[in-house]
Amino acid sequence: MSGRLVPVLQTGAFIVLALVLCSLIFLSVGLSATGTLSAIIDGAFFRPNALNHILRWGLPLLITAVGVIISFRAGYFNIGAQGQFYLGAICAAFAAEWLRGSPALVAVPICLLAGMAGGALWALWPALLRVKAGADEVITTMMGNFIAAQFLVHVTSGPLKDPAGSGQQASSRPIDAAWRISESTGSSPIIIAIAALVVVFGWWLVNRTSFGILSGLAGRNPVMVTWQGAKVQRIAISAFLLSGALAGLAGSVELMGPNGRLASGFLPDHGFTAILIALVAGMSVIAATLVALFFGALTSSGLWLPIMTGLPSAAIDIIHASIALFITAKAGALRGLLSWFRR
Amino acid sequence: MEDLIVAFLRSGTPLVYVALAGVIAQRAGIWHLGLEGMMITGACATIVGIVLTQSVMVGLLSGTIFCCLLALLFWFVVEVLKANQIIAGLGLSGLGLGGTALALTAIFGSEAAVSAPAGLPRLGPAFGAFGGLSVLVAAMPLVVFACWVLLCRTRFGLRLSACGEHAFAARATGVSPGLMRLIALLLGGPLCALGGAELAAGSLQIFSVNMTAGRGFMSFAAVIFGAGHPVGATLAAFFFAFVGALGIRAQLAYGDRIPSSLLLALPYVATVIGLWISARTRGGHATTSRELGQQ
Amino acid sequence: MKAEQHTEAGVTAPALAAEAVTVRYGEVTALSAVSTRFEPGRIHAVLGQNGAGKTTFARVAAGLVPPAEGAVTVFGRRLAGGDVAEARGAGVELVHQSFALPPSFTVAEVLQFVGPKAGLFTKRGIERHWQRWLDGLGLGLDARARIRDLPIEMQQSAEIARAMVSDARLLILDEPTAVLSPKGTERLFARVRELKAQGVTIMLVLHKIREVLAIADTVTVLRGGELVAGPVEAQDLTSETLAELIIGEAAARLDASDRAALVGAGAQHQPDQGRPDAPPAVVLKGISTASNTRGNGLSEVDLTVRCGEIVGIAGVEGNGQRELVAAIAGLEPLTAGEISLADQRMETASLAARREAGLRIIPFERNVEGLSLSSPLWENWGAAQLVGGSLLASVRPRNLQRSAEAAFQAWDVVFSNTAQPAGSLSGGNAQKVILSREMDPGAKLILAAQPTRGLDIGATMAVWKALRQARGEGAGILLVSSDLDELFDICDRVAVMVSGRVVAEFAPPWDLKAVGRAMTAAGQQPALEAVP
Repeated sequence: MSGRLVPVLQTGAFIVLALVLCSLIFLSVGLSATGTLSAIIDGAFFRPNALNHILRWGLPLLITAVGVIISFRAGYFNIGAQGQFYLGAICAAFAAEWLRGSPALVAVPICLLAGMAGGALWALWPALLRVKAGADEVITTMMGNFIAAQFLVHVTSGPLKDPAGSGQQASSRPIDAAWRISESTGSSPIIIAIAALVVVFGWWLVNRTSFGILSGLAGRNPVMVTWQGAKVQRIAISAFLLSGALAGLAGSVELMGPNGRLASGFLPDHGFTAILIALVAGMSVIAATLVALFFGALTSSGLWLPIMTGLPSAAIDIIHASIALFITAKAGALRGLLSWFRR
Repeated sequence: MEDLIVAFLRSGTPLVYVALAGVIAQRAGIWHLGLEGMMITGACATIVGIVLTQSVMVGLLSGTIFCCLLALLFWFVVEVLKANQIIAGLGLSGLGLGGTALALTAIFGSEAAVSAPAGLPRLGPAFGAFGGLSVLVAAMPLVVFACWVLLCRTRFGLRLSACGEHAFAARATGVSPGLMRLIALLLGGPLCALGGAELAAGSLQIFSVNMTAGRGFMSFAAVIFGAGHPVGATLAAFFFAFVGALGIRAQLAYGDRIPSSLLLALPYVATVIGLWISARTRGGHATTSRELGQQ
Repeated sequence: MKAEQHTEAGVTAPALAAEAVTVRYGEVTALSAVSTRFEPGRIHAVLGQNGAGKTTFARVAAGLVPPAEGAVTVFGRRLAGGDVAEARGAGVELVHQSFALPPSFTVAEVLQFVGPKAGLFTKRGIERHWQRWLDGLGLGLDARARIRDLPIEMQQSAEIARAMVSDARLLILDEPTAVLSPKGTERLFARVRELKAQGVTIMLVLHKIREVLAIADTVTVLRGGELVAGPVEAQDLTSETLAELIIGEAAARLDASDRAALVGAGAQHQPDQGRPDAPPAVVLKGISTASNTRGNGLSEVDLTVRCGEIVGIAGVEGNGQRELVAAIAGLEPLTAGEISLADQRMETASLAARREAGLRIIPFERNVEGLSLSSPLWENWGAAQLVGGSLLASVRPRNLQRSAEAAFQAWDVVFSNTAQPAGSLSGGNAQKVILSREMDPGAKLILAAQPTRGLDIGATMAVWKALRQARGEGAGILLVSSDLDELFDICDRVAVMVSGRVVAEFAPPWDLKAVGRAMTAAGQQPALEAVP
C-alpha cells in the first residue's frame, strides 16, 4: 500500500509547490492569493449545479487525456492533442454537413468516427516524420497545433461558414438539434458512456495487452525493446494514431454535444490541459479519471471567475502552467534540496 | 521588393534574438521550450515599462529583469528539481502567456491590447526605405557575431558545449554543469527580452495577449534546424521569416483567391519542413530524455 | 617539474596519502576506511576485482567523489574532497576508463577547454599551439582530429594529453589497459615509464596480475571496498600470492584455470575440443555491412559456430564486434553475404523471426540494450515472451510475474519482488536477469557480448557456468570479449577481428603473443589483400 501512496504524496507535494508559485504571482499583480484560490475552488466545486459543469468540462478532457497517456507511455511526446482535437471537430463538422437530413442514429456515429479519423490523420504525419525521418515530434506536433488553428479559422470563415452568423466570431452552421448528444450547458448519459468506454479501453490496452507492456518498455528504453525483436516503429505509429483518434473523438464530442457548432478558436487550452491531466495522473488511466474531473472543475471555474468575481480567467492558466512546471520534478531532488538547507 | 525585405527583416529579427538564447541553452544541454514564455514576457514588460515611465530604456531593462527571473525559475526546476525539460519548458511558456495576460488585467483593468507612446529608436530617414526599422535590426548581425565568438572561440564556449555534450567530461575537469547551465539560461534572459521588445516595440508599439503566436517555439525549431550553431539558427530563423513574409505578400496579391488564414499557417509549415530537412540530413533524433515519473 | 615537496619535518611528503577514507553510494559502502600512502616518483598499482572499489578510490583522489569520512592528502596538501578543481590545483589528474572527452571536439579544442587560457582564440591559433605541444610530448596526435574519429588507443592518448596539460604530478590511470591490445598495452607502459622518468608519480588502477607485475613498483590490493594489502613492493610478490589476495576466501572454490583467468595471471587451460562434426548453429558467408559512423562496417566475414562449441571473438574494441553482433541479430542490414541460423537462411528475417529460430542475445550494453532500468523486472523478463505475437494479444501480468519469479529463483537472482525496477539490482544480478531471459532450452545460438564486463567474481563465475552449461546442452555460443584471459579460459576456438574482418583463427594451446600480434599487426593486411 505504501508503495502506491508515495507517488501520490510526491505529486501532491509538487502541486503544493506549484500553488505557492501561483500565490506569489497573484500577490505580485496585486491579487489576494488566498482570496483568488478560494474563489477558484468555490467556482470549481461549490457553484450551483457544479457536478454537471465538472462532467461537462472533465469528460472530453478525459477522452483526450487517455490518448495522451497512450502516446506518452510509449515515449512519444505528442504535444499535438490540441490540433488533433480541432481536426476531429472539423472532420465531424464536414461529416455533419454532408449527412444533413439523415437520421440521428446514422449521422451521430458517423460524425464521431469521422472525428476519430481526422484526429488520427493529424497525428499520422508527425508520426511518420518521427519514425521514418527522425524529426522530433515535440516541435512538429506543436506546429501542427498552430496549423490546425489556422485551418479552423479558414473552415469556419470559408467552406463551413454560417451565412446567418454574426460578425464577432466565425462559426459553422449549428448541428441538427436531433443529433446533439448533450445540451449546450452540460453533460449527458451518452457522453458519460463514451468516456467510460474510452477509460475501459485505455485501461485494457495499457495494462492487459502486449501493446501496453511493450510500449511501456519502449517508452523508457526503445533500444532494449529493439534488441528483444519488437517492432518499435509499428508500436510508435499505433501509439500516435490512437492518441490522435481519441483527441479527435473528444473534438467531435464537443461539437456534437455542448458546443453544437464549430467556432474558430474554441477551447484553445483543451490539449494542454489534457497533457497536464496525463502527467498529474502519472500515466495511469484510472487516476486520470479523477484528475480529469478535477481539471474539468478548474476549467469551469475559469469561465465562471470573470463573470462572478471579476477575477481574470488567466488565473487558471497560471495554475495550469505552474503545475506543468513542477509536475515532472524528481522527488529525490527535492529531498536532496531539503537536506542541503538543513545542513 | 524593398518592402518585402523590410517585412522580412522585421519579422525575422525577433526570431533571431530568441533563437540565440535557445542556442546558448542548447549548447549547455537544455532544450529551451520556455522561449515562448520568455519572449512574450519580454514584449509585455517592455511595453508596460514604456507606458508607465515613458522611457524606452526602463522598458528594456524591465523586460530583461523579468526574463532573467523566468530563466532562474526554469533553471531551478530543470537543474535542481530535475524536472523534464520539455514539460517544464511548456509550463514556463504557459506561465509567460498567462502571466502577461494577468499582468495586463491587473495594471490596465482588461486584457485589451496596450499601445505605448514610444517605441525602440529607429534607424531614421538616412536609411531610406529601411529607416522605419529599429536599431535592434541593425544590431542583430553584431549580436549574432558576438554569440558566435562567445560560443565557438572562447574557452567559456567550449566549456558550455562540453556540459551539453558530455557532462561528465565537464565535471571531470572541475567545471560544474549546473552552474554553466545557470549562466547559459541567464544569458538568454536579455536576448529574449530584446526579441520580445523588437516584436512589440520595434514597429507597432503595441502589446496584446498571445501576440508571440508561437514565435518562441518557432525560434526553438530554428535552434534545432540550425544544429545548435548561432549562424545556423539565424539562417533558419530567417528562412521561417522569409516564408512568413512571402505569405503576407501573397495575401496582398492573391488575397481574393487563396484564403488568408491558410497563408498565415505558412511559417508553421515551413518550420515542420525545416525540421524534416534537418532530421534527414543529420540523421535526426536530436531528442532529449523522454523519461517521466510514470507509475 | 620536481615531484618532491618537503614538509616542515624535512621528510618527503607522500604523493598521495589516504586516511580512513570511506565512501558510500546510497546504502552501498564502496570504500570502507581505506588508509594508504604512495611515495612520489614511483608507479603504484591498485589492484582488485570489479566492485572492489578501485575506481572509487581513484575518483576520491581526483576530487570527483567526496569521501563520507576520512581525507586525502596530495603532496602534503590536504584536500577538502569532492572538488575536482582543487585536486587539479594540487597536481592530480585522472585518466578515465571510458574517456571523458566530448566526441565532437577536436583534440585542440579538448586541450584548450581544460587549459589555463580563458580569452579569445582562433581555430588556427590553438591548432598550431597545441600541435607544437603534442609534438613535444611525442604522442603522435593530430590536433585537428575530432575525438569521435580517433581509434580507441588514440582517444586514450588524447585523454592522457588532456591530463598532462596542467603539469600533473600525480597521474592516475583508471583501467587503461581494458581497451588496448597486448601491443597497445606495451606502448602505454613504455609511456608510463617515460613519465615516471620525468618525475611524475603514477597510480595505475588495474585488474590483471600479469600487467601489474610487468610495470608496478608497488602494489595495493582492494577487495570489497577494503584495503587488503597496503603498498607492497612488487618484487616481493608472486602471481599466486596476489591471486589469493585479490580473490580472497572464494579462491578455494574456484578451479585453477578460472582463477587464473579471473585475475589475468596468465595460466593456461585446455578446454574440451569442440565437435567438428556437430551441425552448425550459425554460418556466416562473406557478410558485409555498410560502413557506419564508427568508421568500419563488416567486410566479408566468414565464420561458423557449431552446436556445442564456444567460439570467441577477440580484438581491440571498435573493430567490428558490435556490427557483427548487430548483423547476426538482424539490426544492421547486410550489403552482401549469407547468414544461416540452424540451417535456415536468415539474411532478411526480422529479429523476432531469428529469435523464433533459436537466436538469443546477451547484448554489449547491459543497461541500455539488455534492460530497461526504470521498468519493473517482470516486464523486462516478459518482453521476450511478447515480441513474437500480436500487439493486441491479451496479457495476464500475474502469470508473467509468476513465471519471472520462478526463472529468477532458478538463476539465484537476489530480488525482493518482480515489480521493482531493474535499475535497483546490482550489475551481477541484472546480468542474471538477462541470462534467465535468454538462456532457455530453445536457445540454438547465443550471442554473448562482453557478458562479464564490470561483474564481480560471483557473477562472472555464474556467467561462465551458464555458457558452459548451454554448450553442454548443444547450443552454439559466440562470445565477444576484449579480455583474452576470459576467451582462453572458456572458448574452444578464438577468431580475431580487425577493421571489420576476421583476420585469424586460433585453437588451443593458446599463444598469447600470436593472438596479440593478430589483433594489431594485421591492421595492414586488408590493404595487401585488396590487390587482386
